[in-house]
Amino acid sequence: MGKKKFLKNNIGFLFIIPWLIGFLVFKLYPFASSLYYSFTDYQLFNGVTRYTMENYVDIFTTPKILRALKVTFQYSFITVPLKLVAALFIAYILNFKIKGVNLFRTAYYIPSILGGSVAIAVLWKAIFKDDGLLNTLLAIFGIDGPSWLSDPSYALFVICLLRVWQFGSAMVIFLAALKGVPTELYEAATIDGAGKWRQFFSITVPLITPIIFYNLVTQICQAFQEFNGPYIITQGGPRNSTTLISLLIYNSAFKNYEMGMASAMAWVLFIILMVFTVIAFVSQKYWVYYSDEEGR
Amino acid sequence: MKKVRKIVALSVAAVMAVGTTACGGQAPAEQQPVNQPAEQAPAETGAADAQTPSAEPDTAAASTENDGSYEACTLSFSWWGGESRHTATLDAVKAFEEKYPGIKVESTYGAWSGWEDSMATMFATSTAPDVNQINWNWLDSYSADGSAFLDLNQVSDVLDLSQYSQEALGQCTVAGELQAVPVSMTGRIFYWNKSTFDKAGIDVPKTLEDLKAAGETFRSQLGDDYYPIALGEYDRMILMVYYLESVYGKPWVADDALQYTAEEIQEGLAFIQSLEDAHVTPSIQTITGDGAESLDKNPKWMNGTYAGIFEWDSSASKFEAALEEGQEFVVGTYFTDMGSHQGGYSKVSLAFAISESCAHPKEAAMLLNFLLNEDEGTTIMASERGIPLSAAALANCEAKDLLNATVAEANGKVLDWVTFPLDFKFEAATLKNSDGVYYDVMAGLSYGDYDMAEAASILIDGIEEELNK
Repeated sequence: MGKKKFLKNNIGFLFIIPWLIGFLVFKLYPFASSLYYSFTDYQLFNGVTRYTMENYVDIFTTPKILRALKVTFQYSFITVPLKLVAALFIAYILNFKIKGVNLFRTAYYIPSILGGSVAIAVLWKAIFKDDGLLNTLLAIFGIDGPSWLSDPSYALFVICLLRVWQFGSAMVIFLAALKGVPTELYEAATIDGAGKWRQFFSITVPLITPIIFYNLVTQICQAFQEFNGPYIITQGGPRNSTTLISLLIYNSAFKNYEMGMASAMAWVLFIILMVFTVIAFVSQKYWVYYSDEEGR
Repeated sequence: MKKVRKIVALSVAAVMAVGTTACGGQAPAEQQPVNQPAEQAPAETGAADAQTPSAEPDTAAASTENDGSYEACTLSFSWWGGESRHTATLDAVKAFEEKYPGIKVESTYGAWSGWEDSMATMFATSTAPDVNQINWNWLDSYSADGSAFLDLNQVSDVLDLSQYSQEALGQCTVAGELQAVPVSMTGRIFYWNKSTFDKAGIDVPKTLEDLKAAGETFRSQLGDDYYPIALGEYDRMILMVYYLESVYGKPWVADDALQYTAEEIQEGLAFIQSLEDAHVTPSIQTITGDGAESLDKNPKWMNGTYAGIFEWDSSASKFEAALEEGQEFVVGTYFTDMGSHQGGYSKVSLAFAISESCAHPKEAAMLLNFLLNEDEGTTIMASERGIPLSAAALANCEAKDLLNATVAEANGKVLDWVTFPLDFKFEAATLKNSDGVYYDVMAGLSYGDYDMAEAASILIDGIEEELNK
C-alpha cells in the first residue's frame, strides 16, 4: 500500500525525466560551466592554462566592449518602449469589430515569425542601401537620403526598426488581454460621457497592466540579448555602431575562440538583465493592477 | 468508467511504445553503412565481411564488387564553395561510390559565410567530418601540434603524394607532419572590366600611374559613381603588403616577426588612402552603402560601375560570371612601377585533410586520391578549386581541355610574378575577420577615425599580439 502511494506521489518525476535531462545537460551545465570559464583564460584550441579575473577587468577597460555595452543599452532603451507602444496600439485597433480583422491580425503577426532570416536581410538591405527603396522614395520629394547602412549615425536606427517591426508576438498577448477587459466597464464609461481616449487610458491600460508588465520584462530580456538583426544585416558595422554585446560574445567565442572572455561577457550581460528585471519587479507595486482579492 | 479509461490509456501507451520501437529500430536506408559499421569491423575482418553473402539485396550486390582491398564503411566529407563546386564535388563523390561499392560518403557543404565558425568548434571537439576541405591557415590555427589532422604520410601507400612537389607539400607540413594535401596555389591579381575602360576611352591599367590617372578620367568621363577598382578592407590590406614588398623587397613577416617599421607601414597606409583620395577606389562607406554581401554580388560590379578588383586568381570565374551581358572581363598584369621588387605572395588556396579522429583513414585517403589524382575524379573536379597542383590532375585536365581559361591565365601570371612567402598568421582570425584588426584599421582610416600614425600603431600591435601567441 505504501509502495503504491509512493509511486502515485512520485510518478510525476518519471514523466518529467526527459525535460529534466535536457535542462541539466543543455541549460544548467552550460550555465555553471560558463561561470567557471569566465574566470579562466580558456581558448578553444589551447584549453584552460590559468585562472584569472582579467576577463572582467578587460570588459570594463576595453573600449570596444564598453562601446558594445553602450550600443546595447541604446538599442534596448529605444526598441522596448517603441515595440510595446506599437504592439498595444495595433492590438487595440484590431480589437474592434472591423471587416477582415483576422487577415490584419495575421498580416501584423507575420514579421514576428520571419525572425532573423536571410530573406529579412535581403529585404532590409534592399530598402536601406544607398540607392534603395527608401532613398528612392525620398528623392521623389527632393530629399537626399542618408547612407542608412554605412553611416554610423543611422545604422543603429535600421536595426532598431527591424525589432520594432517584429511586434507581432507582443501584439497577440496584448490582444488576448484586451479581450479580457469587461465590456460593461466601457458601456458605463460611455454613459458617463467618456471618449475613446479617456476609456483607453482610464479603463484599458490599468486593467491590462499585468500584461504590460509581462511584455516589458520579456522585451527587456530579448532586447538585451538581440543577435539576429545586427548579425544578418550589418554584421556589427559600420565601425562597430551596431555591435551589440551578444554579437561581440559570439565573435569572441566562435571567431576569435576566446571562450573565457566570451563567458565573462555573457555573465555581465546576465547580471545587467537581472538588475533590470529586479527593478521591473520592484516597480510593479506602484503601477501594476492585479484584480485579485487584495486588489494590487 | 475507470476500466475504460485504463484500457484507453494502456492502448495509447502500447501504440506509443510500438511507434517508438519502429522509429528507433532502423535508420533510413541512406544513412546506413552498406556493410558492417566501422567500429565493429577492423580492416581485416571488414574485408571478410564484405565478401559474406547477406540477406540485404543491395549489400549483396555491393559485396560481390568489393575486391576486399578496402573496408566497407561510411565516410563524412565537408567542403564550402559555390553551386558549381557543390555540383562537381557531389558528382565526383557519386563516381567514387560507384567505383568503390561499400564505401558510402555523407557530404556536408555550404557557403563560406559562417563556415569557419562551425568547423572550428568541430575541430576543437573532435567531431569534424572524416575528410575536410580546409583553409591553409587552419593547419596553424587548429592543429599547430598535429592534434586535429592525420599525418598523411601514414596513408601514402593509398594517397599518391608523388604527384606534388616537395615545396607544395612543405607548405602543409606543420609540427613535422603532413597534415593536408594542397589542392592549388593562389595569389591576388588585378582583373578589369574592359568594357567600362573602353567607355571611359582608356586602356586597362598596366602601371600604377595608369591606375591613378584612371581615377580622374573615370570621374570626368563617366561620373562620380564610376571607379577603376573597388577595394574592400581585406583587399586593401593585401594590396598594401604587395606595395610595401615591391618597394622594400622584404617579406611582411619572417621568423615570427613583423619586418616593417611603423614609418614604413604608415607609407603603405598612405598609399592606400591616396587611391581613395584620387577617386581610384570608392570609400569603405560607399561600398558598405551598396548593401551587397560581397563584391561579386554588388550590382555596381555587375553593371561595370566598379571596373576592377584585386582578387584571388581562383575567384576569377565567380567574378566573371557575375558580370552583366556585354561586359568584357580581362586578367590584369602586375605593376612594374610599384617598386623595384616583385611584391605579392602566393599561398595554398585550400587543402584537403583527414581528421585525426577518422576511423577509416585508408578509405578516406582513397577518396582523396580519387578526387585529386585519379583521372575519373579530376575530370569531374577540373579547376573547381583552382588549377590543380597534382601533376596527374593537371595533365589530365590539360589533355581534356577542362581548365577554365581565365583562371589558368591568372594563375600563370601569379605564379610567374610573386616571390614572397606568406606567414600562416597573416590570415589569423583576430586579424582578417570582419571584426579583426585589418578591417578596423582600413575602415578606420577610410572613415577618418584614425590618422596614419594611429592606424599603423593599431595594426602593429594587433599583428605582434598574434605573432606572440
